[in-house]
Amino acid sequence: MRLKEHPILDFPAGREVVFTFDGKELRGIEGEPIAAALHASGVRVLRHSPVSGRARGFFCAIGNCSSCLMTVDGMPNVRVCTEPLKEGMVVETQKGHGHLPID
Amino acid sequence: MNRKSADIVVIGGGVVGCATAFELARLGCKNVVLVERNTIASGSTGRCGAGVRQQFGTELNCVLAREAVRIFEHMDEYLDYEPGVEFRQSGYLMLAYSDQQWEQFQRNVELERSLDIDVKMLTPEGAREIVPFLDLEGMVGATFCQTDGHANPFHTAFAYAQAAKRLGAEILTHTSVMDIEVENNKIQAVVTDKGRIATSAVVNCAGAYSAKIAKMAGIDLPVWGERHQILITEPVEAMMGPMVISFHHDFYCQQTPHGSFIMGIGMPGEPKSFNIRSSVDFLEGMANTVMKILPPLGNLRVVRQWAGLYDMSPDAQPILGECPPIEGFYNANGFSGHGFMVSPIVGQAMAELIILGKSSVDISKLDAGRFERGELVFEPAVVG
Amino acid sequence: MRQAETTRTVNLLKEVDVAVIGAGPAGLAAALACAEAGVSTLLIDANDAPGGQLVKQTHKFFGSERQHAGTRGIQIPSLFTEKLANYPNVEIMWNTNASGFYDSGELVLEDEKRFMKILPKRMIVAAGASERFLIFRNNDLPGVYGAGAVQTLMNVYGVVPGDRVMMIGSGNIGLIVSYQLIQAGVDVAAVVEAAPCIGGYLVHAAKLRRAGVPILTSHTVLAAHGQESVTGATIAEVDKEWQPMPGTEREVECDVICLAVGLMPLVDVLWHAGCEMKYVPELGGHVPVRDENMRTSNPKVYAAGDSGGVEEASSAMVTGEIAGISAAKSLGHQAPGADARLAQLKADLAAIRSGPTGEKISAGVRCATVCGGVWE
Repeated sequence: MRLKEHPILDFPAGREVVFTFDGKELRGIEGEPIAAALHASGVRVLRHSPVSGRARGFFCAIGNCSSCLMTVDGMPNVRVCTEPLKEGMVVETQKGHGHLPID
Repeated sequence: MNRKSADIVVIGGGVVGCATAFELARLGCKNVVLVERNTIASGSTGRCGAGVRQQFGTELNCVLAREAVRIFEHMDEYLDYEPGVEFRQSGYLMLAYSDQQWEQFQRNVELERSLDIDVKMLTPEGAREIVPFLDLEGMVGATFCQTDGHANPFHTAFAYAQAAKRLGAEILTHTSVMDIEVENNKIQAVVTDKGRIATSAVVNCAGAYSAKIAKMAGIDLPVWGERHQILITEPVEAMMGPMVISFHHDFYCQQTPHGSFIMGIGMPGEPKSFNIRSSVDFLEGMANTVMKILPPLGNLRVVRQWAGLYDMSPDAQPILGECPPIEGFYNANGFSGHGFMVSPIVGQAMAELIILGKSSVDISKLDAGRFERGELVFEPAVVG
Repeated sequence: MRQAETTRTVNLLKEVDVAVIGAGPAGLAAALACAEAGVSTLLIDANDAPGGQLVKQTHKFFGSERQHAGTRGIQIPSLFTEKLANYPNVEIMWNTNASGFYDSGELVLEDEKRFMKILPKRMIVAAGASERFLIFRNNDLPGVYGAGAVQTLMNVYGVVPGDRVMMIGSGNIGLIVSYQLIQAGVDVAAVVEAAPCIGGYLVHAAKLRRAGVPILTSHTVLAAHGQESVTGATIAEVDKEWQPMPGTEREVECDVICLAVGLMPLVDVLWHAGCEMKYVPELGGHVPVRDENMRTSNPKVYAAGDSGGVEEASSAMVTGEIAGISAAKSLGHQAPGADARLAQLKADLAAIRSGPTGEKISAGVRCATVCGGVWE
């Protein structure tokens, strides 16, 4: 959920962009971390762990912990808590460790 | 330290020391002590590239490696090690970049096949069928042996150490050897910082530090440390089976079971030293080389780099066996970068030599006396 | 994001007087001090804007005016960058990671496209801290967040973490973030604290009490519940030995568990630089042994802010400036009045650490400071 009003902070209205998450069209603010956009759309499960298959979400928000690795535009292991959202991005839940493109 | 005496003291808790201690205990020696100044696998074993290959250019190396592979294949049961040593026979792909090298490879394959090691000769395109994203520029041919592979060096050393303990061997970690007492050319005792252990036999498995240990017994051993570096990437799903090796680029690279790529290159002009700090030149040289040979890996992040020591000998071959004139002083060192892969058979051979007087694989050519006799062993197939 | 290798270039070795790692409160203060002393200064940060964790601190600072008391944390970064903009001897690199400091003296930096080598004469490490984790059942479920992550999500991007939060830890961060959650319209179910008393300033605790949030001291979290994300938690009372007491378990309805259980100094570059390190629990973990000018055992390397030991933003600005003045001075450069300023800063630092909460920090700092306060 996005904050509309805050007693101290102003959130300047950014440009809304469209991206896909596992094929589903979602909207977010250009330049915000992909994870923030997903969170605002109610997506909390960002991946499942490669060995035990347990759900993983947003944890540190500063690119330190690797909880939020996803495949973005075909590239695996992207830390979506810091990666800025761009128009038309293809965001996918990573299968296992993710596949490195070879072309 | 309670321990006052031992039949045999093994110095060094790397994989060679642990394997030797286990095999000694297995042959019935009840009073084996292994002394390690740090922890098990804390030196070169835990820092190594973890490859296991049988593709060599000398009969002796081929046989040692072949026998080691036969042990690795059943190691989990052999050592009753529940976590497993993660031995995977995903092969070694060796790349040739000149006609001269290709001719040597062909001679090697002839030798390997005569020793019952199944090696394929491949065109560059054939190599690409095994690793689809291999860059073929300048490549003349390749050889591939499916039964080569890799194992986890920590698990391997731990497996040997635990099995040795179960058979009654004692493992003393955080214990440094300070001196070796010798009288009338006979070993009397090993003096550690925790106390003196009376013994008549010592096995020197101290890796790059083996010359320091030998010196304590009055022996000049031509073994020295040489830094070699490795880096490892973030993990991705399995995409490369074999270890890829190029002598031309002094390069090797393998994807671990976890999905990370582990890789190394030799750095020219590395001096004799005990330095295990990592360098930026390696990071840069390694990245450039791997991107040339395996271009997609350029998109991977490096997560760690580290260095370890090769225990080099003058002919880059191991020094195995008793070391005259000191009775009871045995060497198992000088592996020059190939210690991990042959450790299972070296442990067996050393134990047989010490207990039975003779090993089933003939290692007599690898004695320390060969340097004085001028009978150095030349191995044409080495990297890094 | 990573790029194809064709766009990856290695920049040639570049020399600089002082490289400052991190543009949080400590790094900004260090860079400004270097700028004023007239040395060439390179300020590096992994983010795209200055401030480090200040960017989420919406509360007003206490203490002395010299450390911006009365100003909200979020307003402080621009005060520094406005000043830094006047100095042509300062270069700032955003979105850049410092990935290693080698024996050769080379500092390796990486951004989206480049791999760069810098040869700094001095390096000031002001990399900040990372959050501690806590062990309990299902602690890996989505919905378990670090307090810093909740702050970032909410105060920087305007997205709330969930509907009802259980906060673990009643130190200043736990109390302040709880209050910020309430300001953002999120329910705070409770603040859970294992110690028998509240850890942070009572001013912050009082605000929560007024908002009707229970602060449960001598309590801990035993488990998170939920399949794919948090739907609740079990908490229990702990005895004097910190052990949960059977029969005191109770369920808390919440969809977020926020961990504010302390910070650990980020010191990786200091380890790599071969600095002598010491485990000092009062400072949050391993910290560099330093002299009173923040110099480490590696004469080229200084530490500032949380990288030298976890404190808070005010002291980070002071240790940053001390490190900046000292690093420049060691290169033979200083601004007029620098010595007097240095003495003033050391007095400020002593004052910040003089309160009851400063006792622990002071003990830690004594433990981490080289014998006699100066390197031989």
